[in-house]
Amino acid sequence: MNLQPEDFWSFQQWFLRPGAFLESAALKGIVLFVLAVVLGLLVGYVISSARYGSGEGFYAVARAIRDFFRFDLPGTAPRRVLALARLAFKEAVRRKVLYVVGLFVVMLLLAGWYLNPQSDDPGRLYISFVLTATNYLVLALALFISAFSLPEDIKNRTMYTIVTKPVRATEIVLGRMLGFMAMGTVILVPMGLLSYFFVVRGLDHTHYEVEELVELPGGGYEGETDYVQFHSHKFTLGEDGLGTTNSVRGHRHVVIRQPDGSFRIGPPEGALRARVPSYGEMVFRDRSGNLDDQGIDVGSERLAGGYGSAGVARLIGVTGGQRKLLHGYIEGGTLGAAEFTFDNVTPERYPDNIPIDLSLRAYRSYKGDIETGIRGSISMKHPSKPIESNPIPFIVDEYEVDEKTLPLNIEGTDGTQTRELNVFEDLVDEEGRLTVIIRCLDRGQYLGATPSSAYLRPEENTFAWNLTKAYASIWLQMAMVTAFGVMFSTFLTGPVAMVATAVVVLLGFSAEQVYDTRHYIDAGINRGGGPIESMVRLIRQDAMTTELDVDTLAAKVIKTTDAGIVYVLDALATALPNLPKMVGTAEFAASGFDIFGALLARHATATLGYVVLAFIISYFTLKSREIAA
Amino acid sequence: MDTETNVAVADSPTGAATEPTTNESVVIETRNLSKIYRDFWGRKKVHALKSLDIEVRQGEIFGLLGPNGSGKSTTIKLILGLLFPTSGRVLVFDKDAGETQKNERIGYLPEESYLYKFLTAEETLDFYGRLFDLSAAERRDRVSKLIEMVGLQGAKSRQLKEYSKGMTRRVGLAQALINDPDLILLDEPTTGLDPIGTREMKDLILGLRDQGKTILLCSHQLADVQDVCDRVAILHQGELKELGRVQDLLKVQDITEVHATGLSDDAKREIAELISRHGGKLESMDNPTATMEDLFLNIVRESEARPGARRVSQRPETAEGQPESDSGGSA
Repeated sequence: MNLQPEDFWSFQQWFLRPGAFLESAALKGIVLFVLAVVLGLLVGYVISSARYGSGEGFYAVARAIRDFFRFDLPGTAPRRVLALARLAFKEAVRRKVLYVVGLFVVMLLLAGWYLNPQSDDPGRLYISFVLTATNYLVLALALFISAFSLPEDIKNRTMYTIVTKPVRATEIVLGRMLGFMAMGTVILVPMGLLSYFFVVRGLDHTHYEVEELVELPGGGYEGETDYVQFHSHKFTLGEDGLGTTNSVRGHRHVVIRQPDGSFRIGPPEGALRARVPSYGEMVFRDRSGNLDDQGIDVGSERLAGGYGSAGVARLIGVTGGQRKLLHGYIEGGTLGAAEFTFDNVTPERYPDNIPIDLSLRAYRSYKGDIETGIRGSISMKHPSKPIESNPIPFIVDEYEVDEKTLPLNIEGTDGTQTRELNVFEDLVDEEGRLTVIIRCLDRGQYLGATPSSAYLRPEENTFAWNLTKAYASIWLQMAMVTAFGVMFSTFLTGPVAMVATAVVVLLGFSAEQVYDTRHYIDAGINRGGGPIESMVRLIRQDAMTTELDVDTLAAKVIKTTDAGIVYVLDALATALPNLPKMVGTAEFAASGFDIFGALLARHATATLGYVVLAFIISYFTLKSREIAA
Repeated sequence: MDTETNVAVADSPTGAATEPTTNESVVIETRNLSKIYRDFWGRKKVHALKSLDIEVRQGEIFGLLGPNGSGKSTTIKLILGLLFPTSGRVLVFDKDAGETQKNERIGYLPEESYLYKFLTAEETLDFYGRLFDLSAAERRDRVSKLIEMVGLQGAKSRQLKEYSKGMTRRVGLAQALINDPDLILLDEPTTGLDPIGTREMKDLILGLRDQGKTILLCSHQLADVQDVCDRVAILHQGELKELGRVQDLLKVQDITEVHATGLSDDAKREIAELISRHGGKLESMDNPTATMEDLFLNIVRESEARPGARRVSQRPETAEGQPESDSGGSA
């Protein structure tokens, strides 16, 4: 799992961006809110002056705002909201939306058709399958139920009997939103439970027999398990008859030799995890050992990507350039290194040893020994003093999380003398910080790292809890889509409201691509250009990176128009919720990482913000609408 | 022959009007109210209502009368705030029609009962009770009373989609009364009802008036309007054509009507002479025919009293001796 800089932010860093307030979520929220108010007033005035004349129109707008604060907001009664929410819920039930759960069950039952049973990492496959399926099903459902309900009530005129009761527009909107969110919850809970059992049961298996057993000369055994579910494990047992198998397909088993000489093989372990990472600060050192903030660029990797998301700052062009984290590479056999400094390394958190996980990339400048991976080493160092442990060599496992443990006592050098070092006494500084250095040992080969490539793992959460958090994230998306659906349905007909909501969702999903396109246009990079230029290139079958081959004037017109379109799209995409970020939590669960609390809190805050915004817009559009027209 | 002798001398052929005790306070007031329907581009489509000025006073039954498309429903919708006036104002309880708070005191029965078909009658009423923020105890109480009042005890737990039109209409009426409103707006209250239902609806309306409630109804069923309304406004093509008390509007000034029972033929002859002696002109004197409504209601009432008995057997008696009240014609 490759994290971006913003993934490391704490909630507060995200919300306020100390030192870079222009990038903060708070500012984005404020700007959106102010924009909504200004646009709302403008549109409201235009509509009501068309209705009542320019002078009266002004008062009509003023009255609408006064009514909102003086009567409708304080007059909103929980009982009415709940009654309307219950009605919305019942209506959704009547529309048989619960069948979606049935559909989900069918999808799970038929999963064997499209999930590869021989996958190398079935845990990831299953988890990302259930989460993706849930996510899209629930979003589609939210889209449907939220966009059609209100227009239908207005069309059937059942609305007449509602609005002629002392029901506030606030209550109608809130009731719908809450009712549909309740519906979404009722659907998500069984889906979550089914997913949990599907994943757990799907990964569960037992090996029964032991093959090719060899008794080791020094005591203990070496052998292989039988072939179950397309795999088998190798294992070694110690003299005490205890041991674990090697990790195949993301899990291992405990093997015990029983007194009667038979072997008992335990259930799979380690397939479903929720590692809680503790990340550190990273710097690179170049081949001569000098500090370097990027590492070596080995090729096209650095070209991809644009600004990342940086809110208002990015939109107005204050922040530019690279915002994505890319792998920087260290050269093997030189002084080049990646240094990670971790905080909070205390005996309480790491009583026995220090678990460290690595996910490094390898770049080979020559084929070398293709049987084995590239070699690297880890050493621990005092952050400021020249005390360093001896390097621990390892072989890089490129596509998996490489789980290592660092011992608490290790031989190393203290200045010039060599002695036995204790991590907490000799290597950790007063503030509890420890530096870990990763080097590449093969000359002429390279190892790539990002700040998320190495982390200490002081604890683990349960998979069930992590899946719950992933579902909470889906819930938030559902709430967001519901709010937008209800908002659009206050002034559009059902199908149009649904399409509008779908456009919002899709634009949210392609936000990053829009940002990238703008980045290329701003920076003058030929990457196919905006929509018109791309169309021209498609028709002419030109490559993306060549100069646009039309005459100068035409090129100017095309590029200017494109820039206009892309800037508008960019503004829209910045204003809309960043859904892919929220879908991204599925990747955490699938990769076996605990979903960061800060990340979930950020999503929750953003969702709340958008729901409130949608609620206010809905109120005014509904209020200014002639229900009987 | 009926032995009862009952001479009624009435100014109006309606039996309805005991003088309404109208307190002069105004419940609904429209001032220069106009409504123009426009299409999407803002072009004028229909001028549905032109400068309407009416006042509905507390405690009266006010009828809006007119053919289809005359602006009756538009007026009601403007009063309810379902539509916004193009110009002019509507005041309900001295508040602008656009304000939600006025609805606390209003009950509205729409033209067709636009209710949620997937709810039962009980759930429907409970739901609307919640919309008035009534407590659970109050809701339970009112729901059961209203269900009894509209006679749906036997069907209260059935979904509305199984209901006949008349039953839906009753639920509609019950939901309009859930908040014990002071002002009741009825849009075509008798459409879709059978004669008994119509009669009951009319009695109910009168009963509500007697409780001091103000009622505005619109209808094109002239007989209904005549039977229950104290005052009517007649609309045509969006314009107010006539406004006044029903009695005044319908009174035919130079005709006198006398109803009497137990008169012999001699007596009738004498009355005719009397009239001509006073210079009057006898236009007709015969037995009035009962209305189809009366006949129908009689049949039903009797069959309920004696279920299974065939009506036909006793029919000739009444049919031939039809005038149970032997009456003097008009002179």
